[in-house]
Amino acid sequence: MTLPGFRLLRNAFGSLAEHPLRTLLTMLGIIIGVAAVYAMLAIGEGAEKKILESLDGPQARTITVFPDWTRGRSSQRRPYRRLNEADLLEIRALPGVEAATGNLSREYPVITDATDWSSDIRGADQDHLFANDLKIESGRAITQTDLEQKETVAVLGQTVTRNVFGEQYPVGAKIKIGNVPFTVVGTLKKASDTGWNNGRDRDNFVLVPRSTLRDRLVGGDYLVRNHVNQFRIVGEDQKVLDQIENDVGAILRRSRGLSTADAPDFRILNFSANRQQFAETQRTLSILLFAMGAVSLIVGGVGVMNIMLVSVSERTREIGLRMSLGARGSDILSQFLVEALLICVLSGLIGLGIGYGVSNFDLGEDLEMVFSWSNALLAFGSAGLIGMIFGFLPAFRASRLNPVEALRHE
Amino acid sequence: MIRTVDLCKSYTLGGSTVHALDKVTVDVMPGEFVAVIGSSGSGKSTLMNMLGGLDKPDSGAVVINEKDISQLSGRDLAAYRGETLGFVFQQFQLMPRRSALHNVMLPLQYRRPRLPDGEHRAKEALTAVGLGDRSHHKPKELSGGQQQRVAIARALVGSPALLLADEPTGALDSRTSSEIMNLLVTLNQRDGLTIVLITHDLEVAHYASRILTMSDGQIVSDQPSNKAAA
Repeated sequence: MTLPGFRLLRNAFGSLAEHPLRTLLTMLGIIIGVAAVYAMLAIGEGAEKKILESLDGPQARTITVFPDWTRGRSSQRRPYRRLNEADLLEIRALPGVEAATGNLSREYPVITDATDWSSDIRGADQDHLFANDLKIESGRAITQTDLEQKETVAVLGQTVTRNVFGEQYPVGAKIKIGNVPFTVVGTLKKASDTGWNNGRDRDNFVLVPRSTLRDRLVGGDYLVRNHVNQFRIVGEDQKVLDQIENDVGAILRRSRGLSTADAPDFRILNFSANRQQFAETQRTLSILLFAMGAVSLIVGGVGVMNIMLVSVSERTREIGLRMSLGARGSDILSQFLVEALLICVLSGLIGLGIGYGVSNFDLGEDLEMVFSWSNALLAFGSAGLIGMIFGFLPAFRASRLNPVEALRHE
Repeated sequence: MIRTVDLCKSYTLGGSTVHALDKVTVDVMPGEFVAVIGSSGSGKSTLMNMLGGLDKPDSGAVVINEKDISQLSGRDLAAYRGETLGFVFQQFQLMPRRSALHNVMLPLQYRRPRLPDGEHRAKEALTAVGLGDRSHHKPKELSGGQQQRVAIARALVGSPALLLADEPTGALDSRTSSEIMNLLVTLNQRDGLTIVLITHDLEVAHYASRILTMSDGQIVSDQPSNKAAA
């Protein structure tokens, strides 16, 4: 910079302000490009965060098991058989299993003196919180002792806490589930956003000991045969999941009297494949946005170059004059380069503002934009770079004009 | 002050070669007011471009203040134009959106090192051309003669040793022309400014103290003007 930077900037501002509409239209391409690049980076960051979270948490190491109808003609089908607690105990003892929990749940009204509410009542055990990635907010969790003693204790999901107790402190309060009185011993934090729930409220449930649920509320076959609807099994890491899947299959075949030749009447689901697909989708989306941003930036850059060329040819005489007054080629070069840069830097700021604004909208739960300074800087920097690259040719041309011819230019 | 030695420059125009300058050798003393006169195509503008360092000769030398400017680099030429020269053009060449004061200050922004007190200098230059009270007017708010005086102030602001004026009255009526020419004479006589004036108008040329006549790229006559007599 051979001229004081301030004067360069002021001059550049002045000449851009002479053609406000032209300047604005030129900026538009860059604005869109920067906004898209920023959005791409922020979504990429959000996806990465999500993937890391899910890889980190127990969700990524979970196998789900549930009973199934056997295939074949209905006349030849065996009756539908549920899983039971004995299977669960055996699975929990398998090597590599960090936690194993059974799911058994039903809707019941939750009643206090003041209000009532309908909620999913889930029969939990000591592994339930860990396997479902839930955290205690106040009070305590369901323990093994609660199960053995069939205690009438309950731990409330956040929606239930809010709707039944409002501002009151729930721990220690009495509630009725169905017709059975329970004591609230704990409340849960909001469930994490990972995983899928088909749009239902993740926090509208109450945990009670599964033995109590069977004994006092569900009854029937569930009570007689110790039935469980579903197992969730968390491995110590993702590598042991395949082994666990095999072991669980073996245990269930044995307890259900199936030979290796028989078709299984249960299903084992390993979600890690789905998770990979999710990551893949996010990546595709990121690449798409990046391509869009890059194309828009380049097209915007060509627009900037075009306008700068027009500007140089409009001001040919001015350039000749400045040269005759002692301006070096480098002075002319920086004059026009600063102008192109200014267009891009202003557009970059506006584009960032738009990108940031978009990230404040709710984009649905599979899409999250995470702000970070490095991303903002990168998007902004790409605008500056475009200004440099596409501003250089016109500026260089201006600096190489022959002053004699430039002065004579009409 | 100025010495050109065997200055040659030719252009190719439509296949034929035009000798714009053909072994031009001329000396100008400090403090002289020289008019170069000739019809269009005589080579007078090319001579001015050579003296102004805007164009390079094919052969020969342009020595200004003991320095051969035809050998200077682009960067040193720019410095030469900024520090030693003042240009005045036929079409004034003012920046339309800037005030007279800012137009006059324009060359100072390319001065290295920067001159202190640029605004003060610019105001003084405007006062010297009689426009001290018009410094905030834009060019279109000034008459043609006033615009040319702003351009002269711009040429003077860097305290040049040599003023090059290319048809300075070409766009002015005769009354305004004589005003401008009298201003140049004053600058020459009062301040000792060396002036080279390019014109095709003999009447204008007579304001100078010496007249060079050019034809076909050569100086065909070199004589004192009869202004002293007039």
